[in-house]
Amino acid sequence: MSETPSRVLEDSQGPRASFDDIKIGQSLGEMEWQITDDLIDLQCQLDQDFDPLYCLPGASGKRLAPPQITYRPPRWLFSRTYNVRGLFVGWEMESIAPITSGMTLRVSAVITEKFIKNNREFVVYQAEGKSADGTLLFRSKRTHVLDFVERTAPRRGAGIDSGIKPEKI
Amino acid sequence: MPVLTSAVTKGFELPTVSKKFRLEDFKRGDEKTIHTDYEAAAREGLPAPVAIGPQVAALTFRQLRLCFGEHWLTGGKWNLTFRRPVLVTDFCVARGVVTQTEKLTDSVRIYCDVWIENQKGEKVIAGTASGLIPL
Repeated sequence: MSETPSRVLEDSQGPRASFDDIKIGQSLGEMEWQITDDLIDLQCQLDQDFDPLYCLPGASGKRLAPPQITYRPPRWLFSRTYNVRGLFVGWEMESIAPITSGMTLRVSAVITEKFIKNNREFVVYQAEGKSADGTLLFRSKRTHVLDFVERTAPRRGAGIDSGIKPEKI
Repeated sequence: MPVLTSAVTKGFELPTVSKKFRLEDFKRGDEKTIHTDYEAAAREGLPAPVAIGPQVAALTFRQLRLCFGEHWLTGGKWNLTFRRPVLVTDFCVARGVVTQTEKLTDSVRIYCDVWIENQKGEKVIAGTASGLIPL
């Protein structure tokens, strides 16, 4: 006999955030994020993309970062505010200006929507990143499903993966 | 040199980018995560460890970098839906097709449908992307 499906109740970070806990309009705060050659190298390694565009200095003498390097900071901001695991299910992104090595980005995010679909709970947050002089570099919208298991399943037990990771890519 | 030019037309097929993933691709130190550990995945109701979505979507990003070159970094846009979990040992291929072009003052915005299929031909990620090519 198979076990009844359930959603994780808690993990090493404490109780998982519930759908009701998440407030539309809630600021997820902001963070500074330094772009370095090492960070670009790591992103290229993760993506297995070693094109000279990213791996060699550009016309400015600095290296250009792949736009997807911006994935993690908004996710970290989400986890700083809410203890969630779940799955990443939607990614909108606009790359407005190149991100180069040596830049310090200021990334901020806010919860903009939440909804139920296919008996699962979804949360949407929007983020933007600016350079130190205030130039808008990217805008992004993320959709996250709180649990892979349907929302009618009870919450019980502890998860092994809290979803909160060291803030490094 | 970008694959796409300002003269590209609807129906042009983007070059494919593919990869056979391994569990090791998603390991970060000794962390036990839903991406690396069977028990951690099972507790979340997943059948097996699942790939980190952005690392799979990277196939599409490589494809778009090939298509738009450095122009991808200024004005590049994507909207992707992760439709079903990718298991950590799946084979995936990024595909795409030009759907529309829009002439602007000094460039052309090229719109594409993009998607990633697994080894069963299932679309695991799908969406749209667009970028600018100077006139």
